Amino acid sequence: MKKLWMLAALLLLVLTAACGGGEQSSSGDGESSEDGNWQPDKNIEIVAPSGAGGGWDTTARSVGKIMEDEEIVEQSVGVVNKPGGGGAVGWSYINSTNDPHNIFVSSPPLIFVPLNGQSDLTYEDFTPLSNMIADYGAFAVAKDAKWDNLNELFEDMKEDPSSVTVVGASSPGSMDHMQFVKIAKAAGVDIKGIKYVSAQDGGALTQVLNGSADVYSTGVAETIEQVRADKIKVLGVTSEERLDGEVLSQFPTAKEQGIDATFVNWRGFFGPKDMDESAVTYYEEKFKAVSETEEFANIRDQYGWDEMYMDSEEYQKFLKEQTDELGTLLEELGLGQ
Amino acid sequence: MGALDGLMQGFQVAFSLQGILFVLIGVVTGTLIGMMPGLGPISAIAIMIPVTYGMNPSSALVMMAGVYYGAVFGGSTSSILLNAPGISGTVATSFDGYPMAQRGEAGKALAIAAISSFVGGTVSVVLLMLFAPALAQVAVSFGPPQYFALMFLGLTAISSLSEGSTVKALISATVGFMVATIGIDAQTGTNRFTFNNPNLMEGVDFLVIALGLFALAEVCFLVKNRKDQSLSKQGDIGNLRLSKQDFKEMKGPMTRQSFLGFVLGVLPGAGATIASFIGYITEKRIAKKPEEFGKGSIKGVAAPETANNAATSGAFVPLLSLGIPGSGTTAVMLGAFLVLDIQPGPLLVTDRPEVFWGIIASMYIGNVFLLILNLPLIPYIAKILKISRPMLISLVIIFSLIGVYSISFSTFDLYLLLLFGLLGYLMRLFSFPAAPFILAFILGGMMEQAFRQALTASGGSLMVLIEDPVSIALLSISVLSFIVPIIRNRVRQRADHEGTEQ
Repeated sequence: MKKLWMLAALLLLVLTAACGGGEQSSSGDGESSEDGNWQPDKNIEIVAPSGAGGGWDTTARSVGKIMEDEEIVEQSVGVVNKPGGGGAVGWSYINSTNDPHNIFVSSPPLIFVPLNGQSDLTYEDFTPLSNMIADYGAFAVAKDAKWDNLNELFEDMKEDPSSVTVVGASSPGSMDHMQFVKIAKAAGVDIKGIKYVSAQDGGALTQVLNGSADVYSTGVAETIEQVRADKIKVLGVTSEERLDGEVLSQFPTAKEQGIDATFVNWRGFFGPKDMDESAVTYYEEKFKAVSETEEFANIRDQYGWDEMYMDSEEYQKFLKEQTDELGTLLEELGLGQ
Repeated sequence: MGALDGLMQGFQVAFSLQGILFVLIGVVTGTLIGMMPGLGPISAIAIMIPVTYGMNPSSALVMMAGVYYGAVFGGSTSSILLNAPGISGTVATSFDGYPMAQRGEAGKALAIAAISSFVGGTVSVVLLMLFAPALAQVAVSFGPPQYFALMFLGLTAISSLSEGSTVKALISATVGFMVATIGIDAQTGTNRFTFNNPNLMEGVDFLVIALGLFALAEVCFLVKNRKDQSLSKQGDIGNLRLSKQDFKEMKGPMTRQSFLGFVLGVLPGAGATIASFIGYITEKRIAKKPEEFGKGSIKGVAAPETANNAATSGAFVPLLSLGIPGSGTTAVMLGAFLVLDIQPGPLLVTDRPEVFWGIIASMYIGNVFLLILNLPLIPYIAKILKISRPMLISLVIIFSLIGVYSISFSTFDLYLLLLFGLLGYLMRLFSFPAAPFILAFILGGMMEQAFRQALTASGGSLMVLIEDPVSIALLSISVLSFIVPIIRNRVRQRADHEGTEQ
């Protein structure tokens, strides 16, 4: 039965690809001038594989806006939302249109979702263009919790990992869960015993505030306001060094507490597979230019993101390492497929 | 003293010329978008976000809040006139609003909806103003076990939503549960019933179900019965003046549901939908003539409409005073705040009192505007029903398709919509009620998550569900509401029996 479905899906994919191909030949693949430089010959479309308002959407929109405002690209840049499947719907759209004018923004879920068996497409089915920024995770507990740093928490968890409930917004095997697992493993906790609860719609923070859960695993930006209001305390963040900012700089890293592990929530742009080399060079130049603008520096500050530019080649290598590392962790948890 | 100063500052923002203008723009846009079948507050807020770029934050947010509650206010229109609820909060309104419209009392139904929305909206703003900072504690008081109990209470409505066969109502609810499980399971990350189709991984959207089972099924039915003369009354708008008797009937539900709706709205995750369903069933349970419900009861329109508007103001408590969005709509609203560089949270009231209190104060004006706007417009809006039948049917289909497409931009969802339309038609044909289906779909998903979150945290012990007074109270009410009608029926039957024997 499963095979039949796969076959049908494959057939459909081939069909849509064929249609897409037909369209392309009439609209063109973009111009390649004599010296082999690729130029877009129509508007660039950035797909945010999520609904409006999330991290992917914000990144896509701010980068698109700077590209237009600072006249980094001559064509106009549109952002399209393709929500669904934790990104999988947007990815299969890029994969099937296979047009170098259509690119998308992504982050660690591009690694997690396929590893969890929720998408057949992996990062290898796309061309990494450039990574732009790095964001980090934070582990917070209620203000009156008995732990004051990660080591105290992990000491308790080493004795009985199931005595602590961790809550996050993503599903098990995805970001909020795995960033905690990665740090906990480095601290020597038996990661198979960790209790992780997934709560959407603001439920994660609520559960830590009312004591239903103990540890809130989330992005650093989400904790700032609650820390300022003295509702929660951040035990540790996953960055290499302390972050900049009035509140952020108070958060100790896991590393300085003697736990040798980090987790980067990277965010960058990808194109369809088998992109022309000159098109890749084109995008690399443009994204590098965006990354260096003052406007983008302001946006990074506003959201508490770090600069982390990587060109296509570095990015490819980085993704390979990430996939191997996280794949091993997921296998150990029994979640990988 | 601080709160009073803040409130004065808020009123200054709200009653400035600019403030009044933006509230007006907000509520007008909100109601107009909300009235469209298939478009609800989420689309309304998302459409308006780009407009706020570069605006003064307090004016912009006063406007956005207006868009939000304006859309909830206007949302009842399509439920009543076309049986096409655009948001989950107005599904319960269609149970009695649409029968009223079919009876030729569309004008009256819309007037009841407008007045009860106004009352619910206004009473809850008073509560919001008095208790917003204090209620922040209430908002986080519910953990997974309490949510489970609350959803369970909501589900007992299935028995009271069934007309005729209870078995058919239960079958309908079971299918609703099954559809709710489609998608990636949040607690394990496993695909459930997705057949490896990425379009199904986020689950089926509420709108697809609501528009399919209600609007499209109704359309099919109208086409099938097009020669039926008894339906011709539907073009009548009727008198929209409410008699003293009508007001008397509305008074009870409006008072009770203003408070109940507000409290449920304060709980993140519960919100307008659950408030409207619970409002509907409590009124049905305590009504002297519960048999009128579902057939065009005045109370049946007033209760959910009061409750969902009261809950909308309630939803501002966790949003403003904690920075916790309790629903998809308030999450988009939170996005609107962040675009303007305002971070809602515990510090908002001290950091930006003009924003915090400005929004609250503006809701008074907003609700008055909505009432003044809506009442005189009713005869014109209700004229939709005068459009010739074939035209009206085509319009409903088009709007349903647009509504669904605008949520996901995927043609796959359009096929799903048609599928659920067909299912809804078949269900009506064999008299399976659609209400239990949608109730189970909405509550079932949340109930399952709450149940499993509670059990994960407790390490599998079911005791966690009955450890806390709140959950015990809610579960007891649920059980009682099952048993009491059965006993009452038994007693009544026995009395009848003895009566006939003698």
